[in-house]
Amino acid sequence: MDLSQAVREGLIPLLPRLRRLARALAGQVADADDLVQIVLERALTRAAQWRPDAPLDKWVFAIARNAWRDEMRARGRSHNLFAPEEAGMTAADGSSAPAQKLELAAAVAALPPDHREVVALVLIEGLSYNEAADLLEVPVGTITSRLARARATLQAHLGKDT
Amino acid sequence: MNPIDDDTLQAFVDGELDPAEAARIDAALAHDDVLARRVQRARALHTAVRAAFDPVLDEPVPERLSALLGPPSPQTAIPQSPLAAAARRQGFATGRRRSARRWFVPATAVAASLAALALSLWWQTGGSLVHVHDGRQFAAGALSDALNKSLASEPDPNAPISIGLSFRSADGHICRTFTERARPAMTGLACHGHAGWSIPVLTAAERSSGGELRQAASSIPPAVQAAIDARIRGEAFDAQQERAARAAGWR
Repeated sequence: MDLSQAVREGLIPLLPRLRRLARALAGQVADADDLVQIVLERALTRAAQWRPDAPLDKWVFAIARNAWRDEMRARGRSHNLFAPEEAGMTAADGSSAPAQKLELAAAVAALPPDHREVVALVLIEGLSYNEAADLLEVPVGTITSRLARARATLQAHLGKDT
Repeated sequence: MNPIDDDTLQAFVDGELDPAEAARIDAALAHDDVLARRVQRARALHTAVRAAFDPVLDEPVPERLSALLGPPSPQTAIPQSPLAAAARRQGFATGRRRSARRWFVPATAVAASLAALALSLWWQTGGSLVHVHDGRQFAAGALSDALNKSLASEPDPNAPISIGLSFRSADGHICRTFTERARPAMTGLACHGHAGWSIPVLTAAERSSGGELRQAASSIPPAVQAAIDARIRGEAFDAQQERAARAAGWR
């Protein structure tokens, strides 16, 4: 099987996780799925760069993170893609979504990009500190300090109504 | 004993400490209420963040996205990505079907449409096993019964539905894999919630080269495995935990 077919087939079961990552990064459903589309196109174009012994999920997550950064730059915003009040609409639309899920999704969307991507990769995707550091090309200490600050911000949101 | 700083506590909660350090904190937790509350708060936040985004995993993948990796499928209520992956493993794409198409159509394309066909057949013949509510699939009838009552540790070879793994997900729900043995055989993952057993993934079951249906635990289709990996916290239940979970009503 050639690499491009291997990547294509490997991406299929990863689509739900890729959409979850994109939702955490980009916020709104439509923007997140636009991001996933860009990621899939890039991944297929660059299939020859994937080493089959490397985990495909980390590889495509790195593409997603970089594509998200590119999109933010292209939109000319230095901070959030969306204003926090818009971000209220970002949570996954489950039938059982209580207000807390919406608020927490909004709080994640309002985090600075550096913090948001660490939350998305470590807390939501479950990457280890080392894996996240490799993917973001920063030292592990940077991961832990960003994560700690993001946690403090989110905790303040969570604590508001409890 | 050294005080436990925020960084160490965070690493503890995230499972990043080495075993000796983790054991030191475990020991301290038993008699330090303040520390226990800090750990509990950090874990609650983690659970809440997961709960805010995990429902995305259960949403149907939009066709414009799955189409980039294969052709559109007629089944929009079902995430299409797992189907294609399962069908590919099935080796459904026969030469005859492929030759009817242009040579560069990926094999997954043919396989995906065949899997969708198998799935729609399953819906027609076994449709009473699944009902759709708010765009999500829920177990009904014999499937719901099997999920509620059957234990993987006490398999019944004559039951139409067998249970594979049971485990608790990161957002606290109990999930179980199941295989429906009728043809076309289907394997899926069901997660228990207040509305019953929702089914985030349902795909064609894997068959061994001899055509025999393999046991669920030994051969989990990649789409179902991916759904498990995305959710599982800790290990799958052993027989005792499975029995206890049933006694507790899968909560």
